[in-house]
Amino acid sequence: MFHKRCTPGEHAVGRRAFLGASTAFAATAFADMTGLNVLGSSALAADLKKTQKRVILLWLAGGCSQLETWDPKPGASTGGPFRAIPTDVTGVHISELMPQMAQRMKHVCVMRGLDTKNGDHGSAAKLMMRGRRDEAGLKYPDLGAVVAREMGRADSKVPDYVTFYTQTEGRSFAPGDSGFLGARYAPMELTTNNIPEYIRKLDGISDLDHKQRGELRDLLGKQFTKGRQSETMGSHNEAYERVRGIMASESLFDISKEPQKVRDRYGPTQFGQQALIARRLVEAGVPFVRVARAWWDSHGQNFETHQEMVPELDHVMAALIDDLKDRGLLNDVMIVTLSEFGRTPGINSSLGRDHFASAWSSTITGCGIKGGSVYGKTDDKGNKVVAEQVDGGSLFATIYAALGINPEKNYYVGSRPIPLVNPGVQAVEEVLL
Amino acid sequence: MNAPNPESLKLVKDYSRPAIAFAVARVPGTDRVFLGSSDFKVSEADLSAAKFEPKGLYGHASYVTTLALSGSTLVSGGYDGKLVWWDTTMNKEIRTEAAHAKWIRQVVASPDGSRFASVADDMVCKVWDATTGKLVRELRGHGEKTPQNFPSMLYAVAYSADGKYLATADKTAKVIVWDAKAGEQLKKVEAPTMYTWDQVQRLHSIGGARSLAFSPDGQHLAVGGTGKIGNIDHLEAKARVEVFDWQAEKQVAEFVADKSQGLVNKLLYAPDGSWLLGVGGASEGFVAFFDVKSKKVLKQEKVGMHVHDLSIGPKFDSLLLAGHNKLTAYKLG
Repeated sequence: MFHKRCTPGEHAVGRRAFLGASTAFAATAFADMTGLNVLGSSALAADLKKTQKRVILLWLAGGCSQLETWDPKPGASTGGPFRAIPTDVTGVHISELMPQMAQRMKHVCVMRGLDTKNGDHGSAAKLMMRGRRDEAGLKYPDLGAVVAREMGRADSKVPDYVTFYTQTEGRSFAPGDSGFLGARYAPMELTTNNIPEYIRKLDGISDLDHKQRGELRDLLGKQFTKGRQSETMGSHNEAYERVRGIMASESLFDISKEPQKVRDRYGPTQFGQQALIARRLVEAGVPFVRVARAWWDSHGQNFETHQEMVPELDHVMAALIDDLKDRGLLNDVMIVTLSEFGRTPGINSSLGRDHFASAWSSTITGCGIKGGSVYGKTDDKGNKVVAEQVDGGSLFATIYAALGINPEKNYYVGSRPIPLVNPGVQAVEEVLL
Repeated sequence: MNAPNPESLKLVKDYSRPAIAFAVARVPGTDRVFLGSSDFKVSEADLSAAKFEPKGLYGHASYVTTLALSGSTLVSGGYDGKLVWWDTTMNKEIRTEAAHAKWIRQVVASPDGSRFASVADDMVCKVWDATTGKLVRELRGHGEKTPQNFPSMLYAVAYSADGKYLATADKTAKVIVWDAKAGEQLKKVEAPTMYTWDQVQRLHSIGGARSLAFSPDGQHLAVGGTGKIGNIDHLEAKARVEVFDWQAEKQVAEFVADKSQGLVNKLLYAPDGSWLLGVGGASEGFVAFFDVKSKKVLKQEKVGMHVHDLSIGPKFDSLLLAGHNKLTAYKLG
């Protein structure tokens, strides 16, 4: 059962428009695989423009420890040295490494009962980016591609899906991937710089030259399409428009445009700077931005690694929440923290923790999600989920539902209907607004 | 005192226990030992008992990472930032000090027993009156952040044999030598190979200068850690010791234990200064002896646990190692 989950009372017209458009879409889905024509409905487009949902995924690559973040077990033999601290949500404690987030848990839903059954970096990263395993001959789109498709606008001048992954470790395990949705929803990937390369006009071409070339192309295009009905030509024109928009969007990646106070808020680290760019992008209408922070794979010296990295996560995530809140965006922008898996409760002889997918945590903050909620319970040592277990599919269904996307909605590959999540997979109703 | 031959090292006994022992202190000439462990407790055990059964004495609020025994006074330090003074004769607490704002890494007693010095991740070395527990001075000079703007850590502290000097060592492998009485910074040496910052692949760090020992004559300062690490997911580099003429701020020897992987967590000079003993590990542990004169590795022995601490007998004839779920006793000489 699909429940649209946004702030109560918000965009009632949008719901009707959405449902109407969705019905129309369902009837014509076979003819219109992209569904973007639906967004061409002026009422719906205008409504989405105001209320478009967007996602920032903080991808904690390598496997962040749940015990040193969202599900501490202080005093247990598996608990490690860190204490748990109370938060602004009565009864909810998180690691002492996250004092800033402890004051902001009223905005956050912690999913503590993830059991995803895959402790291999490569395949687990794909699983947690797509919410399910690929089938033979069918590659599923990842979360970013689905959100780009569902929330992207045909008239958008900004990219639909941007991903930052600057460190090299693990980057190839889960590149942004639009699967069967095709290149239209593939991400703009930034791996070396925070500002995209190759989108600038060539130095040898003047502004006038560039403009005139575009006009000539438009003129020739119009003459060509005169008297012709061509979807290909329409798509061609749209692609050129998007390229022009993306070329003009370079400044969105430039944090020097932000006041120093805002830059200070995010901090000087690369992760902080990329999170700030992510905020600039979603504010400008980019539906999905992934900021990957590698590499958490702490087989040796787990506690020192987390002592180094968790405070940075704490600071950046808190800054992001505050900034989005101050800008009135937290109801429309979702922040997700996710890894390919968590880490073993058992502490190895190098004071490390190894790969562990049986009982770990993720968080969802903002849009459509019940802040201050905790779903899932692990046992005293963190070895297994004892209540409210969630797998990758349910997590994705929950994210989709919170964004107002029907998880049961079908895409079509040829004539085969492909639902957004596998049949029978349910969203976690308890954490949805 | 003559130094025993490292080749005489012989395993006596393993003692298993279900906790990581980070610190060990042995009452000289006895089988009575104190342990600081991952169960948040300071425990006492009798190594001569038929069954090895450490008995909890008191607790910290986190891992107990360091112990220093001077006369009948035991001082424990933990990741809770507290130092606890314990009377080992009466088996009762003397005092607890909220000593540091962050994890305490090591506490050592001065050679004359009048002071204890502690180091912690607040990057301050604090010197305490051993009797009154009064803070005598604070030594500040290590940066709170690494060059990459992440929190640094202050791992090690050591007194010179005459008690005149203190040395402290941090994550970025910077070592400061202090005038112990005046609290002034005298010299600085660095062992940058021991600190790995991975800017490209993983964007975090590992390593650091983990252990210190002054030579018996006070002229040299040995610094223990590990080499540059390629894959910082693991402690995969060889154990490493660098020796400095600290007055000249110059490295005079470098030892790489080719059969020993990981961190050198503790260092000790032979009583005549002829060799250096380093213990530590990665997924398993090691004992390594380094010849000071020839600057060569003398002996390396694998230990079935990552070794965190050692206690040597007063005649250098017994060695007790503490580590991951185990204690191991050796004979020397």
